[in-house]
Amino acid sequence: MDVKKHFQDRIATLSIGIILLCILMSVSFPGQFGTVANFSQLLLNLSIDTIVAVGMMILMIGGMFDLSVGSVVAFSGGLAGYLMYYHDVNFLVAVTAGISGSVLIGLLNGLLIARAGINPMIQTLAMMGIVRGAALMLSGAGIQNFPYQFIIIGQSKLLGLQTPVWYMVFIVALFSFLVKYTTFFRRFYFIGGNERAARLSGIPVEKMKIWAFVFSSLLAGIAGILLSSRLGAALSTSGRGLELRVITAVILGGASLSGGHGKIVGAFLGALFMALVNNMLIIGRVSGYWQEIILGIVLIVAVGLDQLLQKKTGK
Amino acid sequence: MIKRYYCILLLTLTGACELPPHPQENALTANQGKEKYITSNEVSPEEEYVMVTTAINLPMYVSHDQAAFKKWGIKMGVRTSIVGPAEWDVPSQIATLEQIITGRPAGLLINGTDPGLAQAIHKAVSAGIPTIVYDSEIPNSGRHCFIGSDWYEMGQLQGEKMAVLIHKKGKVACMGILGMENMEAGFRGFQDALKQFPSIEFIGKYDDKANVETAAKLTADLLAGNPDLAGIAGFDSNSGPGMALSVKEAGKAGKIHLTTVDAEPEHLRLVKEGVIDYLVGQKRELFTWLGAQYLFDMRHKTLQISGNDAMAGVIPVPTTIITGSVEIDKNNVDLFIQPSPARTIKPSL
Amino acid sequence: MLQLNHISKSFPGVQALSGVSLEFRAGEVHALCGENGAGKSTLMNIITGNIQPDKGEILWNNSSTIVKSVAHARNLGIGIVYQERTLVGSLSVAENIFINPPLSKFGLISYSLLYMQTQHLLDELRLTSISPEMVVDKLTAAQKQLVEIARALAQNPSLLILDEPTASLTHEDTAVLFNIIQRLKTKKVAVIYISHRMDEIKEIADVVSILKDGGLQGSFNSGTISTEEIINRMVGRAVRQLEYHSHKSNRVVLEAKNFSGKGFQQISFSLHEGEILGFAGLAGSGRTLLALTIFGDRLKRSGELYINGKPFEAADPSSAIKNKIAYIPDERKALGLFMEKSISDNITSADKRSGFFSRQKNDAVGEAAKLKLDIRATSVRQTVDKLSGGNQQKVVMAKWLQTDPEILIINEPTHGVDAGAKEDLYKELKKLTAAGKSILLVSSELTELLLLSDRIAVMYNGSIKDIVNHEDATEELIARLATGM
Repeated sequence: MDVKKHFQDRIATLSIGIILLCILMSVSFPGQFGTVANFSQLLLNLSIDTIVAVGMMILMIGGMFDLSVGSVVAFSGGLAGYLMYYHDVNFLVAVTAGISGSVLIGLLNGLLIARAGINPMIQTLAMMGIVRGAALMLSGAGIQNFPYQFIIIGQSKLLGLQTPVWYMVFIVALFSFLVKYTTFFRRFYFIGGNERAARLSGIPVEKMKIWAFVFSSLLAGIAGILLSSRLGAALSTSGRGLELRVITAVILGGASLSGGHGKIVGAFLGALFMALVNNMLIIGRVSGYWQEIILGIVLIVAVGLDQLLQKKTGK
Repeated sequence: MIKRYYCILLLTLTGACELPPHPQENALTANQGKEKYITSNEVSPEEEYVMVTTAINLPMYVSHDQAAFKKWGIKMGVRTSIVGPAEWDVPSQIATLEQIITGRPAGLLINGTDPGLAQAIHKAVSAGIPTIVYDSEIPNSGRHCFIGSDWYEMGQLQGEKMAVLIHKKGKVACMGILGMENMEAGFRGFQDALKQFPSIEFIGKYDDKANVETAAKLTADLLAGNPDLAGIAGFDSNSGPGMALSVKEAGKAGKIHLTTVDAEPEHLRLVKEGVIDYLVGQKRELFTWLGAQYLFDMRHKTLQISGNDAMAGVIPVPTTIITGSVEIDKNNVDLFIQPSPARTIKPSL
Repeated sequence: MLQLNHISKSFPGVQALSGVSLEFRAGEVHALCGENGAGKSTLMNIITGNIQPDKGEILWNNSSTIVKSVAHARNLGIGIVYQERTLVGSLSVAENIFINPPLSKFGLISYSLLYMQTQHLLDELRLTSISPEMVVDKLTAAQKQLVEIARALAQNPSLLILDEPTASLTHEDTAVLFNIIQRLKTKKVAVIYISHRMDEIKEIADVVSILKDGGLQGSFNSGTISTEEIINRMVGRAVRQLEYHSHKSNRVVLEAKNFSGKGFQQISFSLHEGEILGFAGLAGSGRTLLALTIFGDRLKRSGELYINGKPFEAADPSSAIKNKIAYIPDERKALGLFMEKSISDNITSADKRSGFFSRQKNDAVGEAAKLKLDIRATSVRQTVDKLSGGNQQKVVMAKWLQTDPEILIINEPTHGVDAGAKEDLYKELKKLTAAGKSILLVSSELTELLLLSDRIAVMYNGSIKDIVNHEDATEELIARLATGM
C-alpha cells in the first residue's frame, strides 16, 4: 500500500483529522464528549449543513458555486410555514410548495447563469438577497405552531437518532452513488476540469449547469423543510451564513475553487470536521471572541497541511 | 429472496420509528414519583450554570446581562459559562443550546431572542434542567420562570412623557421591529397612553429593522413628509441613535422631541447633548442575577413549598417576574454615565 | 476520403483562407505545414465542424457534405487531437478516454467493463507505461499526450487530425506514435499531421502541403521535396538554413562541481565564454530541475557553482539576475509572459532599473526590441496573448535580453514555434554568442541541438552520461546516451 499516495488523498487526511480530534476531545472532556447524547446531537446539528453541502459539492465539481443556498433554506421553510399557518394548507401540499419553490429558484439561477451568461457570484449573490427578502416577507418575525404531521417529518426518532440525520445519510449515500456510477453526474468533472474541452466532446454544458443549480436549490429546499420541522418554527434568520459555512466544508472536503475535484463523501467529512471543532468550542466553553478566529485558523491549517503534504511527496 | 429481506428490514426500521410527543402531552406530568428537575443537596464549586444567548459580544449584553451573571457566580462560588454564536444567529443559538443540554449543567439561563427557541427549551426542561428565560418570553416552552421588562409599560411611559414634551398637541410616530411581540406590546402601550390627548395625532408605527441607518433614513423621511412632526418614540436599541442622527442633520435637535428605550453609553450621551429627551431603560442586571439565583434555589431546595417540590412538580420560584423600567432624562443622566463596576468588563480570553 | 474544394473563410479584418483545395486520402499521412497565422487552425476548425466556410465545398467520401457541428464530425468519423490538453486531471485514464463509458443493465457505469475496454485499447496501441486506473493528474506530460491520442482513437475515426502531437513526447514515445500511425495507415485511416518539426514530417508523411497567408503553396510528395524548400515556401523568402559556427573561447564563465539537488545529482560541467552547451535527455532526466536550481528557483542540496571563478550561491532568482544569469522557461505562457499585458510591458517586466514608470520609455524599449528581433505585431502596445507562438517566444527573449545577461539558460526555445521564427531565434542566439555571451541550451529537438551546440551534455536519470563534442555528435549517439546506454 502506497502510504504517500494516500496522504495526497483529501478524504484520507480528513478522516484521520476527524479521528484525532475525537480522541483529543474524549480525553480532554470525558463524560461530556464521548456520550451517545452528544454524538446524536452533533449529527443532528450537522445534518442540515451536510444536505446543503452535497448540493454545493456537485456545483463545485462543475466549477460553479451558489451563494443563495442559505436564503433558500429560509425561504422553503418560510413558505411551507406561511401556507400552513395563515392558510391552513395541508402539510404535504405545504412541503411540496416549499420544495417546488426552491427548485424554481435553482432553475432561475441556472438559466440566468448558463444561458444569459451572468457571472455566478453576482447572480447568486443577488438571488441571496431577493430570496432572503421573500423569506422575511413570508415568515415575518417567525412562525410557530405547525400541524403535528409536519413536525413528524423532522422530529421523529429512528434508533435514537432524529430523522434529519437519516435524511442526511440517505442523501449522502444516494448522491455518492449517483456521482460515481452515472454518466450524467460524472460529466460535472469534465465541465469543471476543462469546460471548453467538455463542450467540444459533445457534453451539453449549458443544460448540465442548469441541472446543477437545480440540484443545489432542491437540496437546500429539502434542508429548509427539515430545519423548520425540526425546530418547530420557521425563523427569519434561518440559514444566515450557511453558504460560507457550506463552501468552507466543501473545500475542506476536497473541492477546488476552479472545479474538477471533489467527492460527495468529502462534503460530509468537511461538514463533520467543522461541526466537531464547533462542538469542541462549546464544550470547552471557549469565549465568543475566539470562535471566529479559531474556525478561520482551522480552515487555513487544514488546507495548508494538505498543500504541504502534496509538496513533500514530490508534486 | 433478497427483495423480501429488504422489505422486512424496512418494516422493522419503520416500526422502530419513534414519533415526537404530541404538543398536548406535558412531559412533566408524565413521570410520577420522579424528580421533575434535578436537585442536589450539596453546593459544589464545579456545578455549572450556563447562559445561552446569541450575538454574544453585543455591548449591551456584555455590560449588563453577562457582567451581572459573572458577578453572581463569583459571589456564590460556582461556575458560570456564557455560550452562543458571535452573530445574531438564532438557529446557531438553538444548536448550541442543544449541545449544552447533553452536558447536563446545573441550570440554564436563556436569552429569549426568538420564539423558535421553544422546542429546544422544552428539551432542556424535559431533561430535568432548571431553565429560566429572560428578556423576551417564549411561549409554549415549558420554562420554569421568565424574567423580563414590561414592554407595554415601557410604551406607556414613553407616551405619557411625550405628551408632556410636546405640550399635549402635535403629530407623533414610533419605530421599532415590527412583528416582534414585545415591541408590538410597546407600540400598543404608547398609543394607549396618547389616546387621552385628543390634540395629539399618531401617524403610525414604522420598522427600523434594528438598524441605525434604517432608523435614520426613516426619521428623515418622516420629517420630510411631516414638517410639523412633533416627536418620535423608539423601541429598539438602534432606534435612538438613528433618530438622533437624522434630527441633528436636519438641524432640528431640541425642536423635535425624541424618546426611546435602552440606556447604553450612546443613548446617555445623546440625552446629555439634548438631542434625546427621555430614555426608558431596562434593569437587565436583574434578569440574569435573579435568574441565576432562582436556578440555584431550585437546584438546592433553598425554599420548599411542599415536602419535596421536585417530586411534587412544584416550582419554588416565581413563574413570571417583571423587573420594571428605569426612567432617565437630563436630570439624572450623569449618574448613569459614571462607569459602574458592572459596566467595565474586560473581555475574558 | 476527404476533399476540400476552394475553401474560403474570412473573419473581420483578415482573410484566413482563400480558395484552398486539398485532398486527404485513406491510408495516407498528409502533413500540413505553415507559419502560425497561415490558416491551419482555421482549416482544421472547418473540417471538425466548429466553423462553417464562407465559400467552397467539402466532399466526404465523394459526396458533398456540410459538417454541421463537432458532434456531427465525430459521427462522420473525423477525430482530432488538439495541441492543448483537454483531459480532466482528477479522473482516471479510462474515464478520460471513454467519455461515454459502458453501462451495466441498470444504466449505471460499469467500471470493470470500462477498465477492460481501456486496457484493450492501450494494449492495441502498445502504450505499456499507462494503465486505465491511473489518475491523469499524476501522469507525466508525455503520458498525458498519449492519453489524448488514445482518446481520439477510441472513437475509431476514419480521418484523424494530429496537431503538434510530439510537442511533449520523448524520442521513444514519438517512435511509439509513429508505430501507431503506421498501423492506422494499414487500416486505411487518413491522417492529417500538423507539425513544425521537419525531420518528423520527412519521416512519417507521404504528402506535404504548405499553407501561407491563407493560400495553398502546393502539395508535394514528401520524399522528393527538400526541407529547405518546404521552409522557403512556408516563409516566402529564401531562408538559408543556418550552419554551425563556433564562438567558443577558452575562458570558463560558469562551472558546476558535484552539484546536486532534487532530481539530479553530482553534476559537473564547465560553460565557456561564447559557447552554446546543449543539454539533451528524455523527459524526467532532470534538465529542467537542474536549470531551475542553477537559476535559484529551487534550492540545491550539495555541491558548488562558480561564476567567473567566484563561488555563487543562488538564494533566489533575483540574485541570479544580479549575477547576470537569465532563465528563459519552456512554458512561456505560464512562466514567461503576462498574457493580458502589452508587448512593451512584458519586455520591461524583468528590468530592475526602472524607478518610475514612463510609458514613453516603455514603448521605446519595446520598439527597439521589436525591430531587433523582428517581432510581428501591429504595435508594441498590443497584448501578447494574440501573438503567435514564435512571436511570443521573441518577446520572452527580448524581456531577458533587457537584463543584459552574460549567461543565458534557455529551455525549449522553439516549442510550438514555426520555422520562420525558429530561424530568427537561432540567428539571435548566434549573435549573442558572437558578442561573448554564453548559453546553456536545454532542448528535446536533436536537430536543434546538433545545429547550435558546441558541446552536448546528455543527461539520464539525473546524471550527465557524457558530454559530446560537436564533431562527434550524431543523432543515434545522443539518443542512445539519453536512454542510459
